[in-house]
Amino acid sequence: MEAFAQSIEGGIVYTWVTSIYWLWPLMETLHFIGLSLLLGGLIVIDTRMAGFFRGINIAATHKLLPWVFIGFGINLTTGVLFFFGDPMRYAVNWGFQVKMVLVVIAGLNALWFWLRLNKDMHSWEPHGDTSGEAKVVAWISLLGWTGVLLFGRLIPYVGTG
Amino acid sequence: MFEWLENTSVALWVGESLWAYPFMLSMHVIGLAIVVGILSMVDFKLLGGFKGIRVGSFLPLLKFAWIGFLINAVSGVFLFTSQASYFATSTTFLIKLACIFIGAILTKVMQGQLVEAETAGNADDVSMQGLAIVSLLLWLVAITAGRLTAYI
Repeated sequence: MEAFAQSIEGGIVYTWVTSIYWLWPLMETLHFIGLSLLLGGLIVIDTRMAGFFRGINIAATHKLLPWVFIGFGINLTTGVLFFFGDPMRYAVNWGFQVKMVLVVIAGLNALWFWLRLNKDMHSWEPHGDTSGEAKVVAWISLLGWTGVLLFGRLIPYVGTG
Repeated sequence: MFEWLENTSVALWVGESLWAYPFMLSMHVIGLAIVVGILSMVDFKLLGGFKGIRVGSFLPLLKFAWIGFLINAVSGVFLFTSQASYFATSTTFLIKLACIFIGAILTKVMQGQLVEAETAGNADDVSMQGLAIVSLLLWLVAITAGRLTAYI
């Protein structure tokens, strides 16, 4: 990780990100907007899949998914640029490391949903309770992303190794 | 007044404790995601999105958004106390605060009209595109001004 970070420092992207003084605050603002879209969509989808807000047709919650992906895309792009702009700080920061592990867990959890639950979703009771497995996936998603926000916000304040 | 606030025991705890400030910031971003996340989805719905979901079925989520608002009001007050005289004179911070204040009132107004329409059984016929766009813009400016407060 550190060797990779070292190879970035001084490169084209690093030089570009660090040479424009207003780019960092702009990217932070975009990162906050992205997380609002990502979490906004997922709160609706996952709380319904956890069995709450049953007035909402469960299959229709996936109409919100494009916003989740747009939010994720914004944050992946700005996130990669943050890393390239200050690689040595992020690589050794445990807040960042825990955040990345949680993003991977959330991703695997989404894969689990896709492989095992997605195809049956349209046969679920539109306004009914959900299965135990669906509830587990929903809670892992909600808690995982909350953890991503928590540890992401701690990055500036925790040990740099 | 702001200097007095900065020297209260609460403010000193937020400023000097190793964990209080980062913890409050973390709560603040989680609350932000709940408030802006839910409200933006409701605004997109009011702008004609998400066919198959009734507007009325989104209303209970608005109550949840107010919980996020409460989280941020509390964590925001804690964060404010630690640097009260700085925040009170920061233009971007005051813009952020104004947007949140107007945004909260707007949300209350929209929620009231939607609940009334839902009770009458016609929430899906309510035309509220203008207010939905204003709401989205207010939260967009609030986030931008909030982030810039750390830089300007």
